[in-house]
Amino acid sequence: MRGMILKPILVLVLGSTAVFAEYSKPVKTPSITYPLKFDKNFTVMQRNCQWCHSFGYITNQGKQSKKFWNASVVKMRDVYKAPITKADEEAITEYLFKHYGNGKLK
Amino acid sequence: MQRRQFLKTSLVASTVLLGFELNGSTLRKPLDDYKLSDYIFPEKNQLIAHSDRPPLLETPREVFQTAITPNKDFFVRWHSPKIKTHSFIAGYRINISGEVEQPTYISLKSLKEDFEAVELSAVLQCGGNSRSAFVPTTSGIQWGNGAMGCASWKGARLKDVLKKAGLTKDAHWINFNGSDKAAFYKAPRLTRELKIDEIEDDVIIAYEMNGEDLPFLNGYPVRLIIPGSYSDSWIKMLSEIRVTKEYVPLYYMDTAYTMPDNKMQSETPNHKEKKRIPITTMNIKSIIGYPRSNTPVKIDEKVTLKGVAFDGGSGIKAVLISADNGKTWARSTLKEELSKYAFREFSYNFQAKTKGKMTLMAKALNNLGQEQPFTHKIAWNSGGYKYNGIDSVTFEVHG
Repeated sequence: MRGMILKPILVLVLGSTAVFAEYSKPVKTPSITYPLKFDKNFTVMQRNCQWCHSFGYITNQGKQSKKFWNASVVKMRDVYKAPITKADEEAITEYLFKHYGNGKLK
Repeated sequence: MQRRQFLKTSLVASTVLLGFELNGSTLRKPLDDYKLSDYIFPEKNQLIAHSDRPPLLETPREVFQTAITPNKDFFVRWHSPKIKTHSFIAGYRINISGEVEQPTYISLKSLKEDFEAVELSAVLQCGGNSRSAFVPTTSGIQWGNGAMGCASWKGARLKDVLKKAGLTKDAHWINFNGSDKAAFYKAPRLTRELKIDEIEDDVIIAYEMNGEDLPFLNGYPVRLIIPGSYSDSWIKMLSEIRVTKEYVPLYYMDTAYTMPDNKMQSETPNHKEKKRIPITTMNIKSIIGYPRSNTPVKIDEKVTLKGVAFDGGSGIKAVLISADNGKTWARSTLKEELSKYAFREFSYNFQAKTKGKMTLMAKALNNLGQEQPFTHKIAWNSGGYKYNGIDSVTFEVHG
């Protein structure tokens, strides 16, 4: 009980530096901006992809073929159950290939 | 950025004859010049941030000079975007259900007080560590060499915890689940299944990492430790243990984290092997932590190369160093073995005699007689898993 009363005060004083303390409030991880190219399909990509992951997942893959990007989009729908419509699938693939493509279809 | 990194790496690779074409697929040295992020994550030093949500943090090369990786430098890899903060830790329970005599809920306090504590040093490594070596690029995070670390894990034996719940005669498989959640309810959970007879005494439910609570990002409050296995098996924020009679097919074990099931464990981009096996046991690997490519070295200066080596649990027998691209090898000095599953520190004293670029390679040998292969001898696989090529660093020697 003593610990429970003391904790909010400790958190105020020590902030996030107390290593042994229990997490008395949600841990906040920083929000990083991974800059992406903008075009007409950007918002389609954004509203579908950001449910599950940051744009770091896109930039980290490097330049890839159209087939690679399409397979990635389809995997997000089939495996991870993202509700991506057929029209959005095409728009996202086009967006990714245009800006993060290697020029090759396959 | 990516492109530049690629060009730079392939240039280095070609000067030391590491690039090699095989059925249209190639392996190269993993990317080694990712920059540290300006963003600091909770309880962490500056790391390489491949993603913030879910957090994917890579440990930079210079950390791999010591057998124990500090918690603040330890890599982070989550699959799901919803990661719970267990702010009411007194209410935390591990639920044991299924083929048990008594469905049981175990609190963190009980785990610490009611079971014998055991401590073991073991390497935690992502199966996709060094994935950026694979060309064509495979799907998945393009890790450099830093999706690994070694810590001393303290906790209760899984065996003892299961004994408390009591296994029925139909208990054959054990399924582990953590309390992180995918964005969509129907998405597969990152769960792990173990056969009852696979559970050795050193499989533990850890509540301490290097003498401290586990950092939030490494799975606070408890994590499953399976020494010798890749990290997809080390379930973070362990909250459910379900004992079953039959094997339950799992996406992550049976589809995602798999290798081609053939003799060479190889496939090509156009012919993916249908028969697959989970990645499970780690292969032999070593990484040089010092010097790095940007370390200034002077002619005749006494320099000590340092690094770490490990395998899936047979133990490291030797680490050899080469200064002539692998033609001749010399033994490095090994430090004491913390455990068969831990990083083994190695060091090697050298003096550069000529100006210009110098390359040093490290090759580990284990107690099974296995040794690390050259990068060009490694077969491509579609998941980009289990890369363990001989490591090298190329640095400039100044007059």
